[in-house]
Amino acid sequence: METALAFGIVWVICAILIVILNDKWSTLALLALNLTIATFLLTENDLTGALIKAVFGIVSPIIILLAVARTKQPRPRFGTAPLISMALLTLAISYLVAFSTQSQFPTGRTTESYALIALFGIAVLILVSQRSILKLLLGILVLENIGTLLIAWGANTALLSVVAEVFVVLITLTIALIALMDFAEYGSIDSSKLTNLRG
Amino acid sequence: MYILYTLAIPLITSAICAIFGRKTKIAAYAAVVGMTLSAALFTANLFVATSATAGLDSFATAAGLSTVGLMIAYVVIVIGTLVTWFSLPYIGNAGRIYYPLLLIIISSTAAAVLSTNVATLYVFLEIGTLSTAILVTYRKGRAFEAATKFVVLNSIGSSFTLIALILMFVNYGTLNIGSFGSTSSSAVLLISLFLFIGLGTKIGVVPMHSWVPDTYGEAPTPVSTFLAGTVKAATAFILIRFLFALHPTLDIVLLFIAVTAVLTVGVGAFMAYTQKDLKRFLAYSSIEQAGIILFAIGIGSSAALTGGIFQIINNMVMKSLVFLCVGAIIAATKQRNIDGLGGLVTKMPIVAGGFLIGALALSGIPPLSGFISEYLILQAGFAKGGVYPALSVALLVLTFPMFAGYIKVFQRVFLTVDQKIAAPRVSNLSIYIILPIIILSVLCVLMGVFPTAIVDQIHKLSLAILGG
Repeated sequence: METALAFGIVWVICAILIVILNDKWSTLALLALNLTIATFLLTENDLTGALIKAVFGIVSPIIILLAVARTKQPRPRFGTAPLISMALLTLAISYLVAFSTQSQFPTGRTTESYALIALFGIAVLILVSQRSILKLLLGILVLENIGTLLIAWGANTALLSVVAEVFVVLITLTIALIALMDFAEYGSIDSSKLTNLRG
Repeated sequence: MYILYTLAIPLITSAICAIFGRKTKIAAYAAVVGMTLSAALFTANLFVATSATAGLDSFATAAGLSTVGLMIAYVVIVIGTLVTWFSLPYIGNAGRIYYPLLLIIISSTAAAVLSTNVATLYVFLEIGTLSTAILVTYRKGRAFEAATKFVVLNSIGSSFTLIALILMFVNYGTLNIGSFGSTSSSAVLLISLFLFIGLGTKIGVVPMHSWVPDTYGEAPTPVSTFLAGTVKAATAFILIRFLFALHPTLDIVLLFIAVTAVLTVGVGAFMAYTQKDLKRFLAYSSIEQAGIILFAIGIGSSAALTGGIFQIINNMVMKSLVFLCVGAIIAATKQRNIDGLGGLVTKMPIVAGGFLIGALALSGIPPLSGFISEYLILQAGFAKGGVYPALSVALLVLTFPMFAGYIKVFQRVFLTVDQKIAAPRVSNLSIYIILPIIILSVLCVLMGVFPTAIVDQIHKLSLAILGG
């Protein structure tokens, strides 16, 4: 199995773990995820990219961990089985999509494209199915990290790596901060309970 | 390049404001002085460039910028300055974050418009987005909810944009927007869709528009003004630059954008008509305006892009004008419910005049600025053929509720006097509130009566964008 595919699968497993486990565990999963990418970049001889990823990869989960601790996140109330089955379905559909478009996929790398499309599906699944602001943040982070993967595979430049990683941290910080404000105001970070404004 | 130094002034002032954060008045006056200085230097630079024999085009080319980019950045700085003036009396206790973040948003928007590099453009765009998210929370309470919607939806949009930008680099091998070569149609399709979803979310395209009314409604009025008038229009300009830099240009993508644009106009106009809150009314009207700009992008001809980019500049002026008028009403009456207001024309004649000019310009009534741009867009739609004439008719019909909405609001707020409702108490307005309204009203009329100089420059850029 190619390193890239293995890496993609690690991503998918971590993304599922983020959704179905307690948030403290999801933080650790995210930490592991970022360090895995750093290691991957290191094996590709991109020392700068690896260092940036490692530094920012540690900072963002710590911000989430602090937000989780201060907002007293309850344990998840949903069952794990439906999420796992939905994730597997997403994976299957993603692979079908990847097969049908493999000759035209812009990266020109079929194996990676499976993992990327699968990750995209997982991110969308998290964004659609979750209501907790911090879990929505995790979905956004998975989406942002598709960008990081693309940099690693196709557009390996230090400038883009820095840009992507800095904004992963800034987005994490901003959303975590606003989640804390919501918790102070409404006593909850469940987005479905924020219903004073109707869009 | 002196222009770039003028953009640095708001950033430096932002740091000064942060240092004097506890002394609110010093921070406020520093912001006003800094922005006024920046606008004055920018004006002087443009004046020198246009009076030189080489002209503005050579000046812009020497700096590696487009003339229209310079013009839009100039409008951003001017409106940013007017918004800062307006904030002085409007924001009583600005606190530590208001002025530093406002100035960061203004300078990052201008810098994003001028950027020719994908990575730096993304950086400026995101600095603006994240600063806005924090600034929206300024009024606390329900503003937290608005900020949550803003930051979650816009971060999802940012992720799509980031993926699109990286795919651009993967496929074209460069980060410079002007140096893109050609790639496969499937790659262009994927990049275009990611770009449209990403930047479309920031523009407020249906169905990614739900954050717009909440954010514009709950953010402080000067911030709503800058977001609705300037940031949204600047993002639409960035979308044009990206989308037409991709080769080959796909007709299916343009058609998709045109259809979405018509839907956006419809939703914005109908929802605006039903609103009772002045700021939410204007928020939905800004969704309608975004739809008109997107329709120009969807047509994709040089005439349409000329109309579209002119509409972007117009939108910056017109939308800022009506938002500032509403801000003045709120400042004077402490009331934003349309039904709780009435008879303000005699008490606030300048504000009434400004609102009427802005509303008529936004509705595309001649000879005001909105008429020229909307006429150019519709004409290009009819000229394109295919389904575009039908879409143009649909667009035209769907803008009627918006026009009716403006008439209703003007009649209710400024003309009607309801005996059952106690007359709103109107306090005297500061010159810092009145002056921006007068300046923008004059600009609205001048750009409508003398559009040639701007339209000619935009037409040159449109031809350049399309490789003509």
